[in-house]
Amino acid sequence: MAALILLSGLACASLVRYAPGALVDEGELNQRAGEDTIAALREHKAQQANISANFTHYLRGLVHGDLGYSESNHSPVAALLADRAPQTLRDLGLGLLGAWLLGLGLAISVARFPEARCDIALMASAGLLLSLPAALIAYLFLLAGSGSASRLVLAIVIAPKIFQYSRNILLSAYGASHVEMARARGTSESTILWTHVLPSAAPQLGALAAASVSIAIGAAIPIEAICDVPGLGRLAWQAATARDLPLLINLTMLVTLATTTAMAVSEIFLSRRPEFDMRSAA
Amino acid sequence: MKWSRVMVVMFLTVVAGAALTSDLWEKTSYDQQFRESPDAPPSRRFPLGTDALGRDRFARLVYGTRVSMLLAPSAALLSCLAAALLGGLAGLAGGLTERLILAGADLFLSLPWLFLLLIARACMPLNVSPAVSIGITFALLGLLGWAAPARVVRAGVRELRDSEFVLFARAGGCTPWRLLWAHLIPNVMPVLRAQFWIAIPVYILAETTLGMLGLGVSEPLPSWGGLLRELEGGDIASRLWLLAPAFLLAAVTVSLQLLRPRRDLAI
Repeated sequence: MAALILLSGLACASLVRYAPGALVDEGELNQRAGEDTIAALREHKAQQANISANFTHYLRGLVHGDLGYSESNHSPVAALLADRAPQTLRDLGLGLLGAWLLGLGLAISVARFPEARCDIALMASAGLLLSLPAALIAYLFLLAGSGSASRLVLAIVIAPKIFQYSRNILLSAYGASHVEMARARGTSESTILWTHVLPSAAPQLGALAAASVSIAIGAAIPIEAICDVPGLGRLAWQAATARDLPLLINLTMLVTLATTTAMAVSEIFLSRRPEFDMRSAA
Repeated sequence: MKWSRVMVVMFLTVVAGAALTSDLWEKTSYDQQFRESPDAPPSRRFPLGTDALGRDRFARLVYGTRVSMLLAPSAALLSCLAAALLGGLAGLAGGLTERLILAGADLFLSLPWLFLLLIARACMPLNVSPAVSIGITFALLGLLGWAAPARVVRAGVRELRDSEFVLFARAGGCTPWRLLWAHLIPNVMPVLRAQFWIAIPVYILAETTLGMLGLGVSEPLPSWGGLLRELEGGDIASRLWLLAPAFLLAAVTVSLQLLRPRRDLAI
């Protein structure tokens, strides 16, 4: 995992370094800038030409807690991340909570009370929401004047996926022979849900929970950019458009760390149930 | 074929056909400005009104549909070709080659798709001609989307490589080239076809998101994402026709989702 995170940072640095115009500072276009200023700007940019030296320098700083300086924000990267992370974490947490309550709640209802028309309507609604980009849903919520649009949009973007997969997982769990046996013995439906269905579906649902974190991180970028939320997603968008190398490297490594951790947790859950295949659940 | 699939295929054929043949029936160009009527409401002349620059929204929607419906499949084809090449190589060669290709795939998959796309697109030139911007956007979609299908292809090729009929073919003196063309590729094609159909709506949505963030196809060329940026102006309630691209986008992507193989849904 550590190698993957370092590689992603290095790949990001290479991408920005070899981007057209990467070694030219916008300040050079300022007609008032004197020769000395332009020479200083060029020298500063020339220092960024050597990727490996720069990346090694960055890693050395990282060990000492120095994440570099963001030129586009005129602020240390560590301060920027500390400032923006709480907003994103709060939004991700509330968005995921809402998505799980909605998605899993509907999935349990559909699996518990199989009604063809209701199932088709919910699956169609989920399919429709999955066919709209998160950015468009964010626009629509903003236009509707929703105050906490970003959290709502996150919930609405993720809930259909959670509903689709957990519905399939729960339908499969409800179809198991031990559930039929429990029903035949007169066990109440709530006992069946809590003692038979959910425990047997727990590894797959756990894997889905971990995967939903990764989905939420991806969705947060356009949502924060559109809703103008001062979080990490908007910072990533600004860093990308400004080609702010130190900020991009840190954000890339941070996102890689979060995603790979989520996926590793997902795989741990799945390994507890070797016969489970996420594709077959779908 | 179920009737719903027939309907979906018919709808997509009509939309694609209308978009591709628009030069024959749509007389207004997407960049023609009617300066005497900017921000005009829908009328017989302009079915979806005009934008702030006086351009016919309907003509722009038709042309934007052409851009998305032609280029998303092209990008999907590109990523499938890359996936076939790299996934096939990993599955056949094994050893270090396989490990390297899988590490590369892991690197691509460790970042959320949109984050990766955003960084890569932002690093490409933005002040280029519209045609070049289309090329850049969709080439990036195609090239960055190889990792997930490559893993599927590699798994399929590995399974085939160890299968009995391939062993018999080898024992019968089949050359590696013939083995590849006559046995492996035909058997991997269904997997690639499924990945192709999965990728098209994903790429359409990705292009739309990039367009809405201002990193997609450059003006004056229209695309669905670019057209949807008009929503930024607000006041949709009195101008519901601005949502036409959103309805068309939803209808096309839902149709494409319905066409794709159900067992290939993956997180």
